[in-house]
Amino acid sequence: MLFLSQLINGLQLGSIYALVALGYSMVYGIIMLLNFAHGDIIMMGGYFALVTYAASSNPLLAVVATIVGCVVLAVAIEKVAYKPLRQAPRISLLITAIGISLFLQNAAQLIWTANSRAFPSTSIIPSITFKVGGLSISLSVLVTIAVSVASMVALTFLVQKTKMGKAMRAVSEDTEAAQLMGININSTITFTFVIGSFLAGIGSVLYCCRYPVVNPTLGSLLGLKAFVAAVLGGIGSIPGAVVGGFAIGLAEVLFTSIGLSAWTDAMVFAVLIIMLLIKPTGFMGRSMTEKV
Amino acid sequence: MMLKVDDIHVYYGNIHAIKGISFDVNEGEIVSLIGANGAGKSTILKTISGLLRPKTGSIAFMDQDITKLDAHKIVHQGLAHVPEGRRIFLKMTVKENLEMGAFTKPEATKQDFDTVFERFPRLKERQSQVAGTLSGGEQQMLAMGRALMSAPKLLMLDEPSMGLAPILVEQIFDIIKTLHDAGTTILLVEQNAGMALEVASRAYVLETGSIILQGTGAELADSEDIKKAYLGG
Repeated sequence: MLFLSQLINGLQLGSIYALVALGYSMVYGIIMLLNFAHGDIIMMGGYFALVTYAASSNPLLAVVATIVGCVVLAVAIEKVAYKPLRQAPRISLLITAIGISLFLQNAAQLIWTANSRAFPSTSIIPSITFKVGGLSISLSVLVTIAVSVASMVALTFLVQKTKMGKAMRAVSEDTEAAQLMGININSTITFTFVIGSFLAGIGSVLYCCRYPVVNPTLGSLLGLKAFVAAVLGGIGSIPGAVVGGFAIGLAEVLFTSIGLSAWTDAMVFAVLIIMLLIKPTGFMGRSMTEKV
Repeated sequence: MMLKVDDIHVYYGNIHAIKGISFDVNEGEIVSLIGANGAGKSTILKTISGLLRPKTGSIAFMDQDITKLDAHKIVHQGLAHVPEGRRIFLKMTVKENLEMGAFTKPEATKQDFDTVFERFPRLKERQSQVAGTLSGGEQQMLAMGRALMSAPKLLMLDEPSMGLAPILVEQIFDIIKTLHDAGTTILLVEQNAGMALEVASRAYVLETGSIILQGTGAELADSEDIKKAYLGG
């Protein structure tokens, strides 16, 4: 029974990692950028929810504001910071992403101070606990898993079946050939950032409901772990990000449950190192052939 | 005049790859650009389709200046480019590849598919297969079929015979002739000079970024210089 309840716990955490990892992986797939500002967009989302809820006491509005805020912020960052570097070496893009990450953390600190703030988690998802047999499951766990799975199903449909989704796959496979089809690369990239940050917004609310404290460095560790999840699954691969997210979430909870909670973060990065040594392309990654 | 390239100069960094090339393509023609590896043939096509920018010179398509137009907008004007090495989307299905070819339209219609399938029956059999599993010849057919989905006014083919067995080369050139007979204007780049001159209405011979000879396909095929340099005679 304990195992089962830990398993559900791990699925909840894993589904959040998966949502965040999807943003990493999709952006990498399309412009070969490890968007290290992704975690900080989630942090900003936490503040957006906090501020909106404090002002309106409306949980739905807080959720909408978070998602919209994350999307607007991510698109603005793409336009201002990444787009001018389209022809630049990839390392410049990576350094810029790290710069944006630091900028967002410091901006948050400037606006909201470095003190942690309590997140109104129970106002957004009421704290109700269901008892099934000897198992107790909170509503927040169920909502997190359900919302994440629904988002991933919707994303799969979008990417596999819609014209824009197919264009995204085409650009990610061969940017030049995609242009020759008449696909507008810039709008496809923007679209990818919109989807990635939309998922980040959802992830932000769910993460803050699980760990109801918001501070300017909230996104660092979450972002890094989601990045590990994306690499584990094979960066650039959408199903890979989902598998990687769940794997990291479950492993983390498992590690905690056997009494090694102090070691969970180290374990996550150990997993990354081992994976890079054994199979650098991840579970579902494509083998990298450098284009000439 | 369908396509008019006027004195273009193209650079890769400091390398002066195209040194003032001018040529034109009239409606209903097959024009071939032939020349050795590195002569600049692919660079010219990439510059026409907007993937590269000329430093100076101009390109007009259907009497409209497209020199500075974005690559994706040029496709919308009715110019399709089948790039060197086919560049099909290997991880997508044959059908999805064709859908991408019709990206300029609101939606790929059944008629668009039927037209391509009629020309390339093999693609119909394999439409739900992932493109990466196709043979080289089938991939070339897919690349051409994909370009035809946009119903282009001008079709630019870059080395369609590259890496194919002689029997498949014959087949690809038969298709080129059929497309031409059906009214498609074609700009063809080839290393296989013999085949390229045979189908061409007119042809240009390139050497290290400049045009050194031009004429009708038959004239060039008979020229002693060409025979010696490109036709192994």
